[in-house]
Amino acid sequence: MKFGIFYEISVPRPWENDIEHTVYHRCLEQVRLADELGFHSVWAVEHHFLEEYSHCSAPELFLTACAMQTKQIRVGHGIVVCVPQFNHPIRAAERAAVLDILSDGRLEFGTGRSATWTELGGMGANPDETKETWDEYTRTIPQMWTNERYGYEGRAFQMPTRAVLPKPYQKPHPPMWVAVSSPGTEIDAAERGMGSLGLTFGGFAEQEEKVDRYRRIIRDCEPAGAFVNERVATVNFLYCHPDNETGIKTGSRLTGSFGYLAAQLLPVREVHPTRSYPNPGLLAASRQQAAQNPGEGASAPEGVCIGNPDRLIEEIKKWESCGVDQINFLLNALETIPQEEVLESLRLFGEEVMPHFQDDQPATTSLSRELAATAAAGD
Amino acid sequence: MPINGNADPSQLTKYAPTMSSLDTEALTLPDVKVLQVIYEIDDSVMAELIPPALHPTIPPTMHVIGMRADDGPLGAFTLAVVRVGCRAAVRPRGLPTRAVCTEGEAAEALRDRWGFPITVGEPIMRQRYDRQSIQVDDGNVTVLSAQLIDPVPIGNGDLLYTAGMHVARVERDGETKPWLVQVDPEFEVSRADRGQAQIDAFDNGFWDAPELRPVYPIVASYTTANVTLPAIRYICDPEQPAITGTVAL
Repeated sequence: MKFGIFYEISVPRPWENDIEHTVYHRCLEQVRLADELGFHSVWAVEHHFLEEYSHCSAPELFLTACAMQTKQIRVGHGIVVCVPQFNHPIRAAERAAVLDILSDGRLEFGTGRSATWTELGGMGANPDETKETWDEYTRTIPQMWTNERYGYEGRAFQMPTRAVLPKPYQKPHPPMWVAVSSPGTEIDAAERGMGSLGLTFGGFAEQEEKVDRYRRIIRDCEPAGAFVNERVATVNFLYCHPDNETGIKTGSRLTGSFGYLAAQLLPVREVHPTRSYPNPGLLAASRQQAAQNPGEGASAPEGVCIGNPDRLIEEIKKWESCGVDQINFLLNALETIPQEEVLESLRLFGEEVMPHFQDDQPATTSLSRELAATAAAGD
Repeated sequence: MPINGNADPSQLTKYAPTMSSLDTEALTLPDVKVLQVIYEIDDSVMAELIPPALHPTIPPTMHVIGMRADDGPLGAFTLAVVRVGCRAAVRPRGLPTRAVCTEGEAAEALRDRWGFPITVGEPIMRQRYDRQSIQVDDGNVTVLSAQLIDPVPIGNGDLLYTAGMHVARVERDGETKPWLVQVDPEFEVSRADRGQAQIDAFDNGFWDAPELRPVYPIVASYTTANVTLPAIRYICDPEQPAITGTVAL
């Protein structure tokens, strides 16, 4: 089991007194500590216009800052929006390669397509087309990374042959992931040989079912990239405190605030009926979470990592038994938890929970370089 | 935390009815034609359109809804409703500002049993091969003209309709005051189209929302559905956040 931290970068109103500056720098302080404690990765979303919920519109910059201030922790796009109105695929490939170089090969490349009208409408994107454009991006970006020159004529974009530069530091390229926020998307990840980057807060039974399906389908995948990244990550909240009741109470404020904020956004499904978005995805799950747990709950929902170290160990072992390889933790929302408490929670988790979970997989950089060497030897 | 509404509930809609009873039985209207045109609205006044119990959506929205029942327990009628999209705590909702119905008997039932802010008028729904429309005239003035253009079929399950929060005066504990009455109809859809949304005329004064301005089209849908108007299960104090002010009946 690996552990990561996951950032929406939630900024409370009023947006004055340098609050965005404060929140960003608090996040960086958390990332530095997570690096020292041995966390595997830091992930940052790409969201636009999502007031208070997420002010993380340029994750490549945030992740570059993370990489520059840390030594070991991997930096993950969770995710790059693969829709032309948000990111041209060539620019997405270029930026990712630069981040991979600057981080000495620590990039994890997550892909997705946005699920809100707030964002898609704001960017002028057609919700009917995002699945198609995402699919084209996932197949073409690895080609841009691994071919000296590349040209393409597709539906989402066309390009005459050019050298897309620079190339990533990891060879053949960084591991690729798919954001899984609605049931069935894990199949998309598996069919393309990509990691399943879970972004919803489901229970054990739902997760186990998803993992089983993912592992079964990925055996026969047609990899979008140059190698198969068979990993399942899920997202969770983290608040660890020596006293279980205090941990649950404070953690419930975090989960409730997050869910309440998410519910204010406008999912595509609510206003723009389309088969491309068969359900509200992340927002529905968050809404359900907030409704069950409006902020002052005395008990923690199944699988949520809030409470004392013993409780967290127990919950994480259950996730492990479901086949989850990695848990990425959301540490705060709306600055509900004071920074010093967030750092204390991280320290306690690192000291008392993490040692119970052996990280026996090789670091992905060396793994991908080994894969590249093996491939080269076979030529 | 999210923005709350700041409209005075007692001033919110002059068409808010007084409901003598909340003990309403569900009623199914068969084969109703339902046109829904959704627009983003001017965000500068989004908080002024809804009471403190509710949050505006981000971005703020309005729903123009036309319904035509050709038969059923309330008889044949055509209805036009204008709503402001919102949230009651974490739930998607729409707050009607005014409704207009062709038939007095149907209007009375919708007002008395489900709290629609409704008057009798002349809404007209039209269906052509390339568009569906709803129009409401007030004398010689068109106060609403909204359309779905270039319909394409979609799955019957692709549509979501959000419940309404109807402002109505209700007596509770010896006091009559405005409450938000939750009306969450069920739609059993047998056919659904989607198309471009277009509003050609909207008189916000007529619709009792003087600041409401549609600014950006989202989408329009047109369905045939059995619509079940529900028993009233919840009401909400418009002065309090819905998460604490909701009362189960």
